[in-house]
Amino acid sequence: MSKTHASYRADKRRFAVLIGAPSLIWQLVFFLLPLLFLVMMTFWSVRNFRLQPDFTLANWKMILNAGFFQSAYLYTFAISIFAAAVAAVAAFPVAYLISFRLAPAAQRMLIGLLVIPFFTSLPVRVYSMQIFFSPSGLINSVLAGLGLSPVTVLNTPVGALVGYLTLTIPLVILLQIFALNGVDRQLVEAAYNLRCGKFKTVISIIIPSARVGLVVSFALAFVFAFGDYISPQFLGGSNPPTLSILMADQVKSGNHWPRASVVAMTMIFTLMAMMGILLKFAYGRSAK
Amino acid sequence: MSRRTGSMGDILALLSLRGWAIVVFAFIFAPIVSMAAFSFNADRFPSLPWAGFSLTWYEQVFADPMIRRGLVNSLVVALAVAPLSTAIGFLAAYVDYRFQFFGKRLYMALASLPPTVPVVIMGVAMLTFQGRIGLSGTLFGIIAAHVVISAPFAMVLIRMRLADLGTDIEAAAWNLGAGPWATLREVVIPFCAPAILASIFITAAVSFDEFMIAWFISGQNETLPVRVLALLQGQVSPRINAIGTLVFTTSMLLVILAQALTFRSKAGRR
Amino acid sequence: MTKFPVTDFRGLLPMLNRRQVLKGAAAVAGSAALGGAATKSYAQENVLNVLTWPGHGDPAFVKPFEDQYGVKVVVKEYVGGEPMLALMNQSPPGTFDVVLADAEYIGMLQESGFIDELDPADYPLADYWPEFQKFPLHWSEDKLYSVMIRFGYLGMAYRTDMLTPKDVKSYKAMWSEKVKGKVGFFDWYLPTMGCLSLYNGNKPPFDVSEDAFETLKETLFSLRPQTNGFYSMADQFAMLTNGTAGVIPGIGDWVVLLLQNEGVPVDAVVPDEGGIQWTESMSIVSSSPKKDLAKAYIQYASSPEGQFRTARLPAYWASIPNKKGWEKMIADAPEDAKKLRHTFDARNVMDEYKDGKIFIRQTPVQQDIETWNDAWSEFKAM
Repeated sequence: MSKTHASYRADKRRFAVLIGAPSLIWQLVFFLLPLLFLVMMTFWSVRNFRLQPDFTLANWKMILNAGFFQSAYLYTFAISIFAAAVAAVAAFPVAYLISFRLAPAAQRMLIGLLVIPFFTSLPVRVYSMQIFFSPSGLINSVLAGLGLSPVTVLNTPVGALVGYLTLTIPLVILLQIFALNGVDRQLVEAAYNLRCGKFKTVISIIIPSARVGLVVSFALAFVFAFGDYISPQFLGGSNPPTLSILMADQVKSGNHWPRASVVAMTMIFTLMAMMGILLKFAYGRSAK
Repeated sequence: MSRRTGSMGDILALLSLRGWAIVVFAFIFAPIVSMAAFSFNADRFPSLPWAGFSLTWYEQVFADPMIRRGLVNSLVVALAVAPLSTAIGFLAAYVDYRFQFFGKRLYMALASLPPTVPVVIMGVAMLTFQGRIGLSGTLFGIIAAHVVISAPFAMVLIRMRLADLGTDIEAAAWNLGAGPWATLREVVIPFCAPAILASIFITAAVSFDEFMIAWFISGQNETLPVRVLALLQGQVSPRINAIGTLVFTTSMLLVILAQALTFRSKAGRR
Repeated sequence: MTKFPVTDFRGLLPMLNRRQVLKGAAAVAGSAALGGAATKSYAQENVLNVLTWPGHGDPAFVKPFEDQYGVKVVVKEYVGGEPMLALMNQSPPGTFDVVLADAEYIGMLQESGFIDELDPADYPLADYWPEFQKFPLHWSEDKLYSVMIRFGYLGMAYRTDMLTPKDVKSYKAMWSEKVKGKVGFFDWYLPTMGCLSLYNGNKPPFDVSEDAFETLKETLFSLRPQTNGFYSMADQFAMLTNGTAGVIPGIGDWVVLLLQNEGVPVDAVVPDEGGIQWTESMSIVSSSPKKDLAKAYIQYASSPEGQFRTARLPAYWASIPNKKGWEKMIADAPEDAKKLRHTFDARNVMDEYKDGKIFIRQTPVQQDIETWNDAWSEFKAM
């Protein structure tokens, strides 16, 4: 190999390293390190509101054995799954309509509309929902007008669910549209030509072809609901509290960062496991 | 799409699809409309019926030094986060596009996963970590954290654009004697320019709207969303609605402006 | 994590063609333009940093002080004593100049060396009601550490269209069928558990034996079926207004006065079992580099003008301890003086104090704060 060739290769290597380094360094220092620090923090102790480096399992034992943690964990998990499922099911007809049944201009306009919520502060949107669901709010006024009995939504799990849907539905619709736009139109056309009904085409052609995107949209909805603090606080009234509220409570009461870190670790493990399972499900069968 | 005339059932199905879409869109936009409406309501504590038109809350927003400071902090942070995270995201996207190496999956996981970690956890982790190294409470601390969560968005956007750049174009540039740096500067970056511009705006948006991490680490240097959250928890005031409406209106005006400009430039090209 | 096929993520993030992205981008630029007209940043020397409950940085209160001294008052808000202690512990020295805390936390601040001894002669304590001139929690070994700025009583706040004044003569009203599912709570263990401790007959309410504490927990837990939710500070106002909450224990005038001004049918009461006094008191932070300015700020807050203004803070109203402040309010805003019951010729807020129904709020004496807190967490998650 000629000398110039060797130096060219060295150049190339240096180039690669310089290009690759910034992202690696930034995410290592400001993402991975804080998370590792969080792991370490779970073994620390707190005395008189001061954190003390330590190696104790007391925080893990205390949190994992606490009745309030166990019930909060089950509740958070269940309601997040439920919220993601409701979001996915509610969003799908809309995504299907936009992707398959509307003219490109209308499609573009509706996608543009769906982006708007991302530019409106989530806490404000969630807070604004209070006015609709309060006892004398709009929904109950309408129900009363129809002669129906009022519904209690605020400070119940249903209230939290309303918040989760406010958070996730625009995102889920957009992701589903994206997934559906990737479905081979010729395949769908072929199904129609084979006299396959619209509904049957959706079930047997469209959903399977868009499975990856649909599952990922569900997974992200779950991730966002599972970690959300705003909805269970402002619409759910902490009644009952979720894991994110529990974390905040542990910090508020007595500066207990180590216990909050334990809660955070259980959340991260859960999310990783869920993502792993869901992605496996999404990609698993298509890999043949 | 099928050109056949639909049967009765098809028409019904389409109608109910549209009906459902209207319900879902109403759900999405109800809080935004209510936010705007109640920002003009004279009553301090939101309840029906409407109590009369008032601009009080807007006057208070403009007069409140804490809100102004929050806005300035948010802008400083967003303006720093946008170029930083776009640069980092671009490089990560280019690595994915250009190189094959051992541990690449791990590298890409690190570059793309941060947005999937709940922000509450990120907030706690950032505060405990940054508190140790004396970064918490500084604007740079917020910027560092926001770059972590925004860079992946930039990477995704730019990677999508790079997918359209044939690998042979770069090879051709090398054959013509251009080094990798020159190729990057003369070929790749210009090709990605639209995506880079888009990432700058998107990452600025992510940062400008982020409230949870900033809530934990901002200390004295509250950003606007943190101020909104503090208002939301600390005192009832339609100022919240007024701030939300102001940010929203400005956004919308620019959306319309941007659309008009795109339309004009398209028309001009013809 | 490596298992995730990262390359497949990219297509799934919510994006849109270039045009939409540009739209969004423009939107952000718009928000930036909005800020263009905003303020200069403040030179650090001209700033007084105050750690405080929400609402105390309101221009209605700080503006005269800012104008007089040519400084900016910058506040960091917290809710509840424990977050305040955490902030004091975590912030680098010099972060805060003045801390406004509840009296029961002054002792802890002093023991940790966070606050300075004050010279009583600097402040108009002689104009205060006699009961507050030597307020026990502010003094340690005959040295003054804090000056009371505001106070109020905690009992129950209730909707007058759901409960009658007769109902709320006792805390027992919370177990009434009338407010089933409508008992709200301020999400802080201390005031609620204090009121329930009074209901159980513990006097003083925060100094209870282990047995009495177990009974207190049972009393608390028995309220769970009645519970509506656990509110942030602001949510209490909203929930009483829209009728989601019928009664909230552990709060008082500081919530209802503002609502009454808006015509919401609510009232606050100190039941027969007694009520709890809260205070907001200011101290000079030991690590402050601007102690003279800090002193001037506390002098302003305790002066008749400052007292008059802080009593009617837009965030929430409260009683004031300075009699000269009362006089100013009677002269300048007689209606508000009546609402706050700050008049000398009728029954006023000090009379309840004299009745012996009011107990000063304290942190738990025989148990750890943590023990009470965990009981609260358990209650919430039931």
